[in-house]
Amino acid sequence: MNGIRATLARELRAYFFSPLAYAVLTFFLLINGFVFWLIVSFLSNPRSPGGAPAELFFGQTVFFWLVLLLITPAVTMRLLAEERRSGTIEVLMTAPVTETQVVLGKYFAALVFYAFLWLPTLIYIGFLARYSTVDWGPIGSSFLGILAIGAVFLAVGVFASSVSRNQVVAASLAFAILILLFSFGLLENLFNQPWLKQAFSYLDVWSHMDDFSKGIVNTRRLVYCVSLSAFFLFLSARSLETNKWR
Amino acid sequence: MIEAQGLSRHYGDFVAVRDVTFEVGEGEIVGILGPNGAGKTTTIRMITGFLPPSNGRVRVYGRDLFEDPAEARRDIGYLPENVALYPEMRVSEYLRYRAQLEGMRGAAAKSALGETVERCLLSEVKDQIVGTLSKGYRQRVGLAAAILHNPRVLVLDEPTVGLDPKQIIAIRELIRDLGKRHTLLLSTHILPEVELLCGRVLIIDRGSIVAQGTPQSLRERWLGNAVLRVVLKGEAAGAEARLQAMAGALAVRREAGATAGESALLVEHDHGQDLREPVFRLAVENGWVLLGLGAEKASLEDIFVRLTTHDAAQEPARAEEIVQ
Repeated sequence: MNGIRATLARELRAYFFSPLAYAVLTFFLLINGFVFWLIVSFLSNPRSPGGAPAELFFGQTVFFWLVLLLITPAVTMRLLAEERRSGTIEVLMTAPVTETQVVLGKYFAALVFYAFLWLPTLIYIGFLARYSTVDWGPIGSSFLGILAIGAVFLAVGVFASSVSRNQVVAASLAFAILILLFSFGLLENLFNQPWLKQAFSYLDVWSHMDDFSKGIVNTRRLVYCVSLSAFFLFLSARSLETNKWR
Repeated sequence: MIEAQGLSRHYGDFVAVRDVTFEVGEGEIVGILGPNGAGKTTTIRMITGFLPPSNGRVRVYGRDLFEDPAEARRDIGYLPENVALYPEMRVSEYLRYRAQLEGMRGAAAKSALGETVERCLLSEVKDQIVGTLSKGYRQRVGLAAAILHNPRVLVLDEPTVGLDPKQIIAIRELIRDLGKRHTLLLSTHILPEVELLCGRVLIIDRGSIVAQGTPQSLRERWLGNAVLRVVLKGEAAGAEARLQAMAGALAVRREAGATAGESALLVEHDHGQDLREPVFRLAVENGWVLLGLGAEKASLEDIFVRLTTHDAAQEPARAEEIVQ
């Protein structure tokens, strides 16, 4: 427990004191603000097919995924790679803490920072509530979905950061794995066998988020996210351990 | 108390450390001495549990470092070679973080923190950002972090490397002070440091221990006889034979390159024997003008050089050995 607490506290501090975090935050808000404006102005056109702006905003446009795929590697790339590059890992790995504790502490810090990034989007919902009626159910499930899918993406990022001592390599690797994971869903359309179709649709994060944004909370989707995150975190701890042997 | 037994470490085909066995007893200050690349850091990293050994085991107060790491690591305070700190943290924040890693909390952590800051003379910089500190202060922060949890054993890897002479003196003083409370194992390639601080020395070269003992016993063992240096005015022809004939003198040779108009003679004798008086009387008898008389103090440096210098001819043979 000490390991989780200590690393979590340290990483949170590092996030909020580093300029990178604010660059990421600014970039994130700029894009999201633009996308939100785009959606609202699209829907306010009388000839548009209509729809719920919050639903569109959370996961039904390609922007959502672009931002997510770019942001999460940036959030996690430093976590373990920098420890190894600077040598601070030596102190960490000779303290009475386990690899798993260190990985979890850092992962939770990334998760908290990620959630913090999304916090300002509540303002958009506030605007919507001011000028129209808002269905709060789908909003809640959207945020749950954002957290669940973010959890997977961040776990992938932590793993990538545990493999390399170079942050850029870590970010690129995370991005590559995420793209692969993301495109699994698209493979669904390539196959005719129903069982393959089903398997790939289970892996499809896009349809996950679609459901969440419509207010559908499917436990199967949540189990998928939690188990995939756990899998990548497990790999991260093992990778940290095997670093010693090289 | 640390017991290292048959430690080896391979990196691919390269053997960094080969079958190293030693013990550090309670309250001892032991120095690991070796040229750069001899395997000091690898050995230290195995002792602290950072690197698992390819072969062999390490016990800290009877607990195996790899079977019971959480408990065994609590007894060790470690200062790595390149003291890596988080540059964006304040000194006090960093120390608090390290205390947390060691599982300390509340009032105990607070008092340990205060005490350590005092002991390591960090009071004036405790609110500074680590990245702005000088190397000497960073070293002290590293040391402070290593002793925070009051470990029974302190392991320091090259604690004075990269410091200026004034900082070195300050750090050495601090280390000597720490030696009174903790068992100490430190590595260095600086010889006077070992002479100054350590009760026992391990000399390591190419991954193996080539000699160990107190600085005194190493001197006696590896440098042979004690040497008395006699400086006479003029040519002093025939002095060699006379000195040689003296009771207790084992061998006499003339030092090459003495100052013009002087001659220096080196008289070898057994340790524990004082030949200064007989030499003086001999000089008076023969009418020599005695300009200097003193024991040639053999330094650890000579032993070190002797043990770790290799003939060029031996080099290829060794290299092949490693490749195989």
